[in-house]
Amino acid sequence: MNLRGLAIGACLLPWLAGCVNSTVDQMVFNTPGAEGIGDASVVILGRRHASDYETEPDFIRCVGNHVSSRDESISVIGELEFLNALYPWFEPRTAPLRPADLERLLEHDDVARTFANLQTQYMIWIDGSTVRNDSAGSMTCGIGPGGAGCFGFGTWSNDANYEATIWDFSNRAEVGRISTTASGQSYMPAVVVPIPIIAPVQGTACDSIGDQLLEFLSPNYPETP
Amino acid sequence: MSGSMTTGPERWLAPILLALALAACGTKQVMVQSEFPSPVMNKLPLTIGVWYDDEFANHEFFDEASGRAESSWLVNTGQAQVELWDTLLKGMFRKVVYMNGKPGPGQMNPVVDAVLLPEVDELQYAIPAHTNVKVYEIWMRYRLQLVTTGGEPIADWTMPAYGKTPTAFMQSDEGAVRLAAIVALRDAGAHFASSFTRVPAVAQWLDSLPRAGEPARQGAQP
Repeated sequence: MNLRGLAIGACLLPWLAGCVNSTVDQMVFNTPGAEGIGDASVVILGRRHASDYETEPDFIRCVGNHVSSRDESISVIGELEFLNALYPWFEPRTAPLRPADLERLLEHDDVARTFANLQTQYMIWIDGSTVRNDSAGSMTCGIGPGGAGCFGFGTWSNDANYEATIWDFSNRAEVGRISTTASGQSYMPAVVVPIPIIAPVQGTACDSIGDQLLEFLSPNYPETP
Repeated sequence: MSGSMTTGPERWLAPILLALALAACGTKQVMVQSEFPSPVMNKLPLTIGVWYDDEFANHEFFDEASGRAESSWLVNTGQAQVELWDTLLKGMFRKVVYMNGKPGPGQMNPVVDAVLLPEVDELQYAIPAHTNVKVYEIWMRYRLQLVTTGGEPIADWTMPAYGKTPTAFMQSDEGAVRLAAIVALRDAGAHFASSFTRVPAVAQWLDSLPRAGEPARQGAQP
């Protein structure tokens, strides 16, 4: 009976999650309106200029998947696909920092042609990262002929801070900024088996920023009952 | 408890953990391999020659561990270097020709406008264990020489390239260093493509060519 209880508990453990606090601010102009973006596409790119952090590629993927999965009419170009299609003009060293810089890029025929093929209407730059702070506690693990196990307790907090800047490609203008912060405390008690209680901080930040982008891009969002 | 009484998982788990512990003290080897995108730009109307010497084509970087707790690192970038520069030059110039030998007096080579000789002058890396920053970094400095088929110098300059990658989505130190190296190589390509015609000696040489008009110069500077 005890073994059965342990087994059930072990199966449920991954579903335990810590709490996350999240805040979102947004300021947008010139939304696409009721007709949405039509056949045009959106590209979501990570800013990678800072020396001490880097916007995580998996976060960019997460936001892109969030947007495209909730409104299938929105075509989101993959970050790497876009970077490769326009190499080397969107690498960290060469990426435009202001919408006006796009004009200079488009003076080049091949770049303009590629943009036309991709039908990019909005370019969304995301800058930020998730960092781990305030780790505490200790855990000891051992292994021997009779078995293996851990004992102890660990805790840490994660803080996510991201800002999305929306560029309207056709007007070469910035049309919105969305920022989100999220923080959460994770715990890992261990009595023989470590029990991770992880706060999904980055996932919450992804959902927050994705929802705000959907409100901007999609005429069907937020869904009305 | 005798060894014969241990159960299945314990038999193989202990040797694996021991092997992993020992492996942590050995040399970490990274073979950098990747495909690189062709640059999107108007090609310069030049026939460029290229010569990769053996040191460049088989470039590797070795850093010996300074203590027992650290690992030595061997980073092979030669194959990726050749892949990058082949793709880059073919996208930047009207025609790319491989030289039979290093340009110099008496060396028989195809006729080209100029020959590029890339060289990795220096490579440095940093991992979180060194810096306490959760970023893996690769920094390279290239020495680039543009010469005539006879080996006469046209331009000689250095070019840095930098790549970094965070730890969050990587499984191992080796994987992160490999990815940082690929980012650094892409940066090298971006730097070269966007700055080649602005290197003063190169610009002067382009201006001296009878067919090097304005359209060609604009091609690499969108």
